[in-house]
Amino acid sequence: MPVLDVLTSGQLLFAALVTGSVYALVALGLNLVYGTMRMLNVAHGDLVMLGAYAAYWAFSIAGISPLVAAPVVACLGALLGYALYKGLFRHLLAVAPADAGRMESNSLLLFFGLSIILQNAAAMLFTPNNRAYQYLDEVWRVGNVAMTGNRIAALLVAGATCIGVALFLGRSTAGLAMRSVIERREAAYIVGVDVDRVQWSSFALGFGSAALAGVLMSMLEQFSPFSGFPFTIAGFIVIILGGLGNVMAGLVAALLLGVIETYGVALTSANLRSVLLYGCFVGALLLFPNGLLARRSTRS
Amino acid sequence: MKSVTSHRRSIMSGIAALTLMASAPAIFAQADKPIRIGYSMARTGILASATTSQSNAYELWREQVNARGGMDVGGQKRKVEFVTYDDQSKPEQAVRIYEKLITDDKVDLLLAPWGTPFQIAIAPVLEKFKFPMVGNTAASVALRQVKPGYIWFPTSAIPDRIGAELTALLKASNVKSAVLLSNVLPFTKEIKNFLEPELKKAGIEVKLSTEYPPDIKDMTSILTQVKQLNPDAVLALAYPGDSVLYAKQAKELGITSPLQFIAVGPSDAFFAKAVGAASAENVITIAHWSPRPEWKGSQAFYDDYVKKFGEAPDYLNSALAWMSLEILETAVAKSGVDKAKIREVISKDTFDTINGKVRFDGVQNAITPTAFVQTQKGKLQIIWPKSIASGQYEPKKGW
Repeated sequence: MPVLDVLTSGQLLFAALVTGSVYALVALGLNLVYGTMRMLNVAHGDLVMLGAYAAYWAFSIAGISPLVAAPVVACLGALLGYALYKGLFRHLLAVAPADAGRMESNSLLLFFGLSIILQNAAAMLFTPNNRAYQYLDEVWRVGNVAMTGNRIAALLVAGATCIGVALFLGRSTAGLAMRSVIERREAAYIVGVDVDRVQWSSFALGFGSAALAGVLMSMLEQFSPFSGFPFTIAGFIVIILGGLGNVMAGLVAALLLGVIETYGVALTSANLRSVLLYGCFVGALLLFPNGLLARRSTRS
Repeated sequence: MKSVTSHRRSIMSGIAALTLMASAPAIFAQADKPIRIGYSMARTGILASATTSQSNAYELWREQVNARGGMDVGGQKRKVEFVTYDDQSKPEQAVRIYEKLITDDKVDLLLAPWGTPFQIAIAPVLEKFKFPMVGNTAASVALRQVKPGYIWFPTSAIPDRIGAELTALLKASNVKSAVLLSNVLPFTKEIKNFLEPELKKAGIEVKLSTEYPPDIKDMTSILTQVKQLNPDAVLALAYPGDSVLYAKQAKELGITSPLQFIAVGPSDAFFAKAVGAASAENVITIAHWSPRPEWKGSQAFYDDYVKKFGEAPDYLNSALAWMSLEILETAVAKSGVDKAKIREVISKDTFDTINGKVRFDGVQNAITPTAFVQTQKGKLQIIWPKSIASGQYEPKKGW
């Protein structure tokens, strides 16, 4: 495609925004949990997968629209996050406050185990078959841009949720408390922030947003119990690109990734997709080791 | 004490021996023993979602055979018992499992694991232990390099033949120009390598030929180009995941090429569920089976499968799995569990299957022609070659 056509194509812009916004939503939850507790949730993608199954069953058994099911599924995800935090991870955090390195590796193992359990439980309960359903699949045309209903819905819901969480973190007291724990954990503790509450709420928010991403994903593509892992990887790339724990920068990085994936492929070749993605990732790590938008004062 | 026990034991064994001698020859002892059949299947890992259409066929077969009173093993009916393991989508794991099935579990017969790399990987194990097994869901020109003797492949969906036959189908459908979109995974890449020269030879203009990676998430940029080029045929050499992505985005962008070929995916029931009946309609794909009155048992297989699993069988993989079971069943009925005899029978005989007659020439099926099916009013019909067609090619009118 000629360069000018690529850059002015509304179709590609739409594709980049849809991809980017779903990445942003996936990365958001991963980043919150990492930011507040320094725990890397490698089971994050599997929660996306569970969210997708929840929406699928609600739609195919009870005929409930995924957009109606979305808040319920998100709440269930949040509840699961809350339960896991209270039942499992709080002890881990309490046991090893002095040895952060060990806590990080232990949590990694726990999440890894959780991921395997979730995948195989889903394979046993739901069979490993591919699942998909039809919802909002009529095509809308605005000018020369064609958009499928479910992709517009995914873009709007993911975008609104990310903006909502960004406002929550920036404006509300609870959100500011969360950010303070992310940025200066000890200081937040000293000035009286209820760190435990911040931690369980970020677990709940993280798991809930993953489940919500799953609902959106289920409208767009087919999935199986093993579809979660690529989302974990995409989430990792986004949050490392943006800066671990830096939620706002993560949102920008996600959109950037969507742009690289769409425009990069259009300008070069689809075969170079991975080269472009990981190339940018490695390049960014070399040039901006603390993330693209890292403020020098934030981490050191 | 000791003498009493041994005395009683000898009386008991005497009675047992007498009963045996009186009632039947030694095989009698085996008759109530189930026949143990082993296989591995990817139940977890990235390939797991592709394997159920095959393992479902195995399950259905066992259920039916046991309901009939058992498998005919050289004249004796024996119930079928499966010994199965999860190979975690790893061919090297399958190799270890088949060694274990043969040496440790000492199974009587073997069924094939899912997929080309797995069946090629275990071929040397079969050779080593002189254990014959009928393959099924494997398709590659590399199969011809497998040493013949202990494994056979009933498929006719071999990439070089697909290249030639698909070109013939395009010619017959008056296609002058085409675009080729190829997933870089082995099967589709192989098809591309054979298809491109065939198209050139036939004078069909290839307006665009592009490759893409298996983890592609968005095809907008490729399909915008396809739309501009407006070819007579889009040949999407896709795997199940990206076949759905292609169909969804072709609909979004309104691609109007009348001949739509998608290599892997549309033969499985999930495709129509994922993209919708209207999008799946008139899509052409690779398969050489469809329920036809000429093929005995084909309609019954379709009906029983739908009844048990609530969806249609995969026209390629489920049918191939069933064919491999039919071939094994016939051979075992003739020769019992004698491996050398089974091997002899499978190598030389002609078998009646739901896909018509099958005879092996080396490792390959020498009879079944390479074929293509098209979804017509929600059902897949064979449209090529004419010799086994159950329907006529219809151009695609929209998504």
